[in-house]
Amino acid sequence: MPRLSGFDPNFKEEVLAEPGGENLYRCFSCGTCMASCLVWRVNPDFNPRRILRMVMLGMRGEVLSSPVIWLCSACDVCYPRCPQGIHVSELMKAIRNIAIREGYEPPGPVAMVDEELCSGCAVCAMACPYEAIELVAKQPSDGRRPVAQVDKFLCLNCGICAAACPSGAVSIEEFGDKEIAMQMQAGNWFAEKGLEPKIMVFICNWCLRANADLVRLNQLPPNIRVINIPCSGRMDPSFALFALKEGADGVLVVGCQPGECHYRRGTYIGQGKMGLLEQVFAQMGIVDGRVRFARIGAADRGKFPRLVKGMVAEVEQRREGK
Amino acid sequence: MGKLKLALYWAASCGGCEIAVVEIGTKLLDLAEAADIVFWPAAMDFKYKDVEAMPDKSIDVCLFNGAIRTSENEHIAKLLRAKSKALVAFGSCAHEGCIPGLANLNDRASIFERVFKETPSTDNPEGVLPQTSYKVAEGELTIPEFQERVRTLAQTVEVDYIVPGCPPVADQVWNVLEAVIKGELPPPRAVVGADAKTVCDQCERVKEEKRIKRFLRPHEVIADPEKCFLDQGIICAGPATRAGCGTPCINGNMPCRGCYGPPDGVLDQGAKLLSAVASIVDSQDEAEIKEVIDEIVDPVGLFYRFSLADSLLQKIKSAAGKGA
Repeated sequence: MPRLSGFDPNFKEEVLAEPGGENLYRCFSCGTCMASCLVWRVNPDFNPRRILRMVMLGMRGEVLSSPVIWLCSACDVCYPRCPQGIHVSELMKAIRNIAIREGYEPPGPVAMVDEELCSGCAVCAMACPYEAIELVAKQPSDGRRPVAQVDKFLCLNCGICAAACPSGAVSIEEFGDKEIAMQMQAGNWFAEKGLEPKIMVFICNWCLRANADLVRLNQLPPNIRVINIPCSGRMDPSFALFALKEGADGVLVVGCQPGECHYRRGTYIGQGKMGLLEQVFAQMGIVDGRVRFARIGAADRGKFPRLVKGMVAEVEQRREGK
Repeated sequence: MGKLKLALYWAASCGGCEIAVVEIGTKLLDLAEAADIVFWPAAMDFKYKDVEAMPDKSIDVCLFNGAIRTSENEHIAKLLRAKSKALVAFGSCAHEGCIPGLANLNDRASIFERVFKETPSTDNPEGVLPQTSYKVAEGELTIPEFQERVRTLAQTVEVDYIVPGCPPVADQVWNVLEAVIKGELPPPRAVVGADAKTVCDQCERVKEEKRIKRFLRPHEVIADPEKCFLDQGIICAGPATRAGCGTPCINGNMPCRGCYGPPDGVLDQGAKLLSAVASIVDSQDEAEIKEVIDEIVDPVGLFYRFSLADSLLQKIKSAAGKGA
């Protein structure tokens, strides 16, 4: 039984006064936001409905110190679904802003910049969907140029910056270049005989939404290797080239449908990169079916196995055509 | 110990790297004082048999420019490797294939077809193609074989140092020669005559917003000389290219073309540049994104202008060709 003495009845007013917090009172706790929330699916502790309720009850300390308020990625899947038209991600931002002023920090992980490698080209800053990167002149006195700096309060570790960085200066935890390279090579997959055709699949962590689809992900034959990435925007074309050079017959990159991207615009960046890479392959006269980009959306249950099957068929046709 | 022995050679190259050496100007005299030039076909009269007669490892440093296109290039590369203590891939062609490497978009047969039969200025009614040997009344004439594809020096023989650039700029050439003369070259397998970061680190242009709706080619617009090329939608290879050139192209209001190759740790310069370019497309509309990227003309020539022969992409293409 929570004790009322620990509550702050003014907390809701505080959130209301914060830019983005205006619509708090409209919430009647129907839970539609939670039902559509992608983060909730993997981390049930993140429940936007409950967080808003806690704000209205005045549970200031508990809300501001909670590690989950930082998890909202502003994908805005819930926004059009909310019957009250509440922009939940903006509300979360308002709550975070108060938390930041109170000295709380997101638990991370966040993107990291190696200042010795960064040349300040600003491509990462432009690619970041959260404007979490800016160029900062660290030592202007010694003539050194500004370098990228990550705002830990805004970064969500999507890795779009790491893939965009042309000099390998930006990296992210868990899904860094090294980790992905290790997963690609694990078990000496490239050298294994009799697995042809070998297809390397890079799949966005968020695009499979039905549990049945997630289960199928683990039931694929050994010639299909699946690498999870936070977002198709994290896809570095070098991964695809590396996989093909090492012996994969095809590379399939799967992202979210337009409008459903967990990281706002990652799926568009993924599409652009893979589209350009396909053009490069075509110009090189390397026959089709090496690299493909595909999308899976909330309404595309059961599509993933079909995509993989299609890719296998395409590659097999190419191999037979030889 | 005798005087330092230096050799310079050009394989499949345009001659620009030779000019880059001459461009050190009066320092050539310092060079001649410190070193004996034992082989330099572009500037002095030597024959291959002179090199063949040298003992192995008798040349201290060989600056080798040019890609490996013909059997002659390959033969001399192997010869100079055997005769040299330190073999330097000098300039972009030897380093990563450079412009000659773009010929790898085609195979030998289609290059011959185009060059010796189809080009408008060709008059070849009998369709004669180059042959490595031909019998005439006086005996047999031979020419080197035109190989299936262009290779880099390091794909042919072991290379000790790389001096990047198309061509390496004169200051850097002298830096390298000075290091050679003073015996201050770093341990082998190093890139010398260049910096660690990328061109953006030395570029003075103002960087603001790079969110691009339409990419422009340099001839389509007169670029603002103060603003970052990418901000203006002009694809500049600077972000993915090793610094060290002193940005002469950018100072001339032309975007970086990428001749200094990738910075340390980057496997494939073209893939990195492509990734950066695609990441700044300003659109959240599937069809529009397709349109923006479809408008990029000659993506291989743009992203891999200098590095194709040395790229992962090339390795994939070569493997695909073998299986056929």
